[in-house]
Amino acid sequence: MSQYLCHDFKTPRTDMSRRLPGSMRVVPIFFYAVALATAFFVFNDMRALQQAEQDRLAAIARKDEYIAAKTTLDSEKTTIDAELFRAEAVAKWVEGTRVLQPITVAIARAVPLETNITELNLERSADLPAQVSMLVRLNNSTLAEVAKIESSVNRLHYRSFSPSQAKQGDLIEFRSMLVWQEH
Amino acid sequence: MLDDIKSVLTFAAFRPDADDPEVPWATRFLGRKTLLLNVNRSHVSWRSINRRGKFDKAGFHEGDLADVAAQRGEEWRAMTEGGWCCVSINNRFIISLETGLMRADNLNHLMRTNPRTVLGPKYDRGKRYAIYHHTETTASMLLACEDSMVKVTEDVLRGVGLKPGRICCGLFAMLEYALKGIYDSNRGQAPSSFLLIAACEGSIGALAQQDGQWRDLRCRSGLGPDGMDTALQIISPLVAKAPPGTPVFFVSDGQDPTFRKTLMEQLERVEARDLTQDDLVWKILGEH
Repeated sequence: MSQYLCHDFKTPRTDMSRRLPGSMRVVPIFFYAVALATAFFVFNDMRALQQAEQDRLAAIARKDEYIAAKTTLDSEKTTIDAELFRAEAVAKWVEGTRVLQPITVAIARAVPLETNITELNLERSADLPAQVSMLVRLNNSTLAEVAKIESSVNRLHYRSFSPSQAKQGDLIEFRSMLVWQEH
Repeated sequence: MLDDIKSVLTFAAFRPDADDPEVPWATRFLGRKTLLLNVNRSHVSWRSINRRGKFDKAGFHEGDLADVAAQRGEEWRAMTEGGWCCVSINNRFIISLETGLMRADNLNHLMRTNPRTVLGPKYDRGKRYAIYHHTETTASMLLACEDSMVKVTEDVLRGVGLKPGRICCGLFAMLEYALKGIYDSNRGQAPSSFLLIAACEGSIGALAQQDGQWRDLRCRSGLGPDGMDTALQIISPLVAKAPPGTPVFFVSDGQDPTFRKTLMEQLERVEARDLTQDDLVWKILGEH
C-alpha cells in the first residue's frame, strides 16, 4: 500500500523546481567539510600565532636579560681590562728594571789597569726603567777603551743609543743611553 | 541566486518540493506541520498533522468554505509551517466508469497538465480530472471535478494565507485506496466479483465488479441530513443486482460513527465487510 499516491488536480505550477539528484548532496557536504577544515586550520593557526606572540615576548624578555647581563659583563671586562693594562704596565716596568751591577762589572773589566775610572754614573729613567743613562769619565785613556766599554755593554744585551764622547787631554767623557734589548 | 545557494546548503534542494504532486504528502512535509481540509457543501472539517507526523487538532465548522476560512483562517495558518495544506473537495464532482482510456507512465502528470491527450473527446475544459485504472481490464474510474470549484477553493485559501499543496477528492481517494487494498491484499486471489461502497463526509460512491469487470459505478456528493436514505437508494440497486454471495466491502471516513453504524446495519444483511479505520480519510490524505 506504500506505493499508493493520492491523486491531485490542483492548478499546476510552472515555476516548481525539481529536486536535485541525491548524488549532488556531496556538494554541500564537501562545502561543510571544507568550512570545518578551514575553521580547524584557522583555529590552529590562531593558536599558533598566539603561541608565537607569547614566544616572541618571552624571547624579547630573555634578550633584555642577556643584554643586561652583557652590559654587566662588559663593565666588569672594562674594569678587568683597565686593571690588566695597569698590571701589564707594572709588569713591563718590573721587566725593564734590570740589575745595574753587571754593567758596572762589565765596564770595570773592559778598562785596562792603567786607565782610571774617575766617574761612573748609571741613572735609570723612572718612567722607562729599561733605559739607563750612562756617564763614564776615564782618565789616562784612549777612545779604544770607549769602544771596549760599548761592546761589553752590548754583550749584556744593552744597546747604546746616542753615544757621545768628549776628550779633554787625558780625560774622556763617554755618555750613552743604554736600552735593554729583549731577545 | 542566494535562495538557490541557501537551499543547497540546507539540503532543501534535495528534498521534494512542497508543491510536487509526484511525492507522497508525508514525504514532502517530513518534520513540518501541515493541515488537512475536507471541504463539503455545507461544512468544512480539518485535521492538523504535527511535526512528528501524528494527527493533532481536529475541527468542524458549518458553512461555506469562504465563510469558514474568513473565521478560521488564522487558526488554520497556526497549524501549518509555511501555510501548506491538503484539500479534499467533497462536492461538485462526478465519478464515472470509462473504458479504453490512454495508459502511460506519466499519466498523472498528463492528467494535470494536458488531460485532453488522455481523455480525448470526453475532455471538458470546465473540469479537473483524476483517473484510476483497473489493473486487469481496460476500465477506468474517472473523477471529474468542477474547475471553478477548484479555483475558488485555491483563491479562498490563498486569501487567508494558506497554500494548497494538494487538491483532491476524499471520496475518490478512499475508493482508490480501498481498491488497491483489495487487489494488493488478495494478490492473485482477488474476488472476481465484489461490491465496494465508500462514504466520505456526506458523499457516497459504490462500485460493482462482476467477473473481473467493473460493471457499475454510482456516486453522489453533498448529501444532506437525509443522507442515509439517499445512500441506500444508491446502494440498493447494486446490492440487488449482485449475485448471491458477492463480497461487499464498506469503507468510510471513520469520523461519523452514527452514519457508519446505521449503514452497516443495512449492509450486514449481505454480510458486508467493514474496512473502515479511524481517521481513514485523514490517513489517506496525510500519508499518501
